[in-house]
Amino acid sequence: MQATENKKRTSNQPPVKRLIWPSAIYLIIMTQIPFLITIYYSFQDWNLMRPDQGVVFTGLANFKNILTSSSFYQVFGNTVLLTTAVLVICFLLGFAFALLMNRNFFGKGIVRTIFITPFFVMPTVSAIVWKTLMYNPNFGMSSYFAHVFGKAPIDWLSAHPLLSIILIVSWMWTPFFMLILLAGLQSLPAELIEAAQLDGANKMGQFIHVTIPHLFRYIEVVLLLGLMFILQVFGEIYVTTAGGPGYASTNLSFLVYRIGFQNWDIGEASAVGVLTVILTIIMMLFMFRLLRRMFREEQS
Amino acid sequence: MKKITSGGLTLLTYVIAILFFFPILWIFITGFKTESEAINIPPSLFFKPSLENFQIVWEAGIGGFFANSVFVTLASTVIALLLGVPAAYALALLKVKHKDDILFWIISTRFLPIAGIIIPLYLLFKNVNLLDSLLALILLYAGMNIPLIIWMMRSFFNDVSFEIIEATQVDGASGLQAFFQVVLLLVRPGLVSTALLSMVFAWNEFFFAVSLSYTNAATLPVYMASYMTQEGLFWAKMSAAASISILPVIILGWFTQRQLVRGLTMGAVKG
Repeated sequence: MQATENKKRTSNQPPVKRLIWPSAIYLIIMTQIPFLITIYYSFQDWNLMRPDQGVVFTGLANFKNILTSSSFYQVFGNTVLLTTAVLVICFLLGFAFALLMNRNFFGKGIVRTIFITPFFVMPTVSAIVWKTLMYNPNFGMSSYFAHVFGKAPIDWLSAHPLLSIILIVSWMWTPFFMLILLAGLQSLPAELIEAAQLDGANKMGQFIHVTIPHLFRYIEVVLLLGLMFILQVFGEIYVTTAGGPGYASTNLSFLVYRIGFQNWDIGEASAVGVLTVILTIIMMLFMFRLLRRMFREEQS
Repeated sequence: MKKITSGGLTLLTYVIAILFFFPILWIFITGFKTESEAINIPPSLFFKPSLENFQIVWEAGIGGFFANSVFVTLASTVIALLLGVPAAYALALLKVKHKDDILFWIISTRFLPIAGIIIPLYLLFKNVNLLDSLLALILLYAGMNIPLIIWMMRSFFNDVSFEIIEATQVDGASGLQAFFQVVLLLVRPGLVSTALLSMVFAWNEFFFAVSLSYTNAATLPVYMASYMTQEGLFWAKMSAAASISILPVIILGWFTQRQLVRGLTMGAVKG
């Protein structure tokens, strides 16, 4: 290991280091600078529909407006509920299915392929499929099953908007959880299982004392990455409920869109954007701590 | 007894997989039905498949949006690869100061919510007359995919034995020559999956697309969203349009399968 380290050092020719700069500069221009401008805008009173009022510095007024409005807390609650519920559903289903897949059976490759397909479908189309095929109160599956069970069909999207979206997003992300947990199960060394069997552990004991500890880092990775993506759900909401009724199915990302591109209130939309980023950064710090630990394992 | 349990579990696996795939399968089937067959309850299983819906949807102009999607996806992936792959190479194989910090900063840009940057980007592109232009989307998607490419390619470069590169340098090849002639060849399977996965992300992206494009530069996700609002009652035609929108990327996704775990976890976990 030490030897490789030294060799890496010897071939450290200066021109190669510059290879990082183009990407870094590009990312700064595309992401960091816009975010700094968002912070700046969040202190301005600026509505594109009222050009006569111009752009006026208002200090923390935008934040005060947001944090004193009840709709913001509803949206915040929706974001937390949507993200948590999807993570729990995806984890449980994904884990169960990874266990089923972690056996040898005929057609395993094809089953895996068709199972991950929902993950590749664009969110707008997923939303359309569910909105028509599943949730349509006249012709959808939900009404069909309602008839079968002798109940009156309901309009899922207006009766349970957030739940409907949770189901769509869970459908799309369960394959992601399954894939990564399956990779974890398959990387379990056979010796570990054998050793546990020699110790006289039964199936359940093996699962709790060998499989779960081994899977731990995979579980962490899948939960944190899933969290980062699911926090940003947008297209599914846009197509199915447009965030309504009222704010019943709006999350933070969609709130920025509503304030920014429907009310054209640049200042307030930016302020919500800043709050969204703060929430995300807190989550991201957890993720980095985890990844750093993995780095150290990789290098040792 | 054991055999029966095992068979039962396999059957259960098939059933769940088919249930998950069912909505997609249904879209593909419905595209070939007539409008009245499409809304039959219980669903009509036997019908005469027709290509009429696809023809109507094509004539209504989905082709232009399809072309937009293809162009934006390819162009942004090429830019992201050109910028990202060399950076990944440097970060994987060379001694760079604060390597970990750079890597974490890079990935943090991927998870910065679009909601936190969309307002200034909208105003910026508006001021330089790039609203509703393919260029705006290409630039943003390249930025979105660079972190993915750096992290994923870094993990593939890590697998390259350093002795191989060392050997090429003894032969008198320069660092860059070694990179093109040896290293890139070795990581080619990884490079292909990385490119395909960034195409998947670009193809499906919606938030940037719906905020920054209207008619000229709209990509398929935007087209599908507006189709739903305007013609959501025509299920068969909508299914045909949806099939056209999702089929290319489903095929791309199937090809990335082997490296998918590594790609989706940014190289943190090898599948």
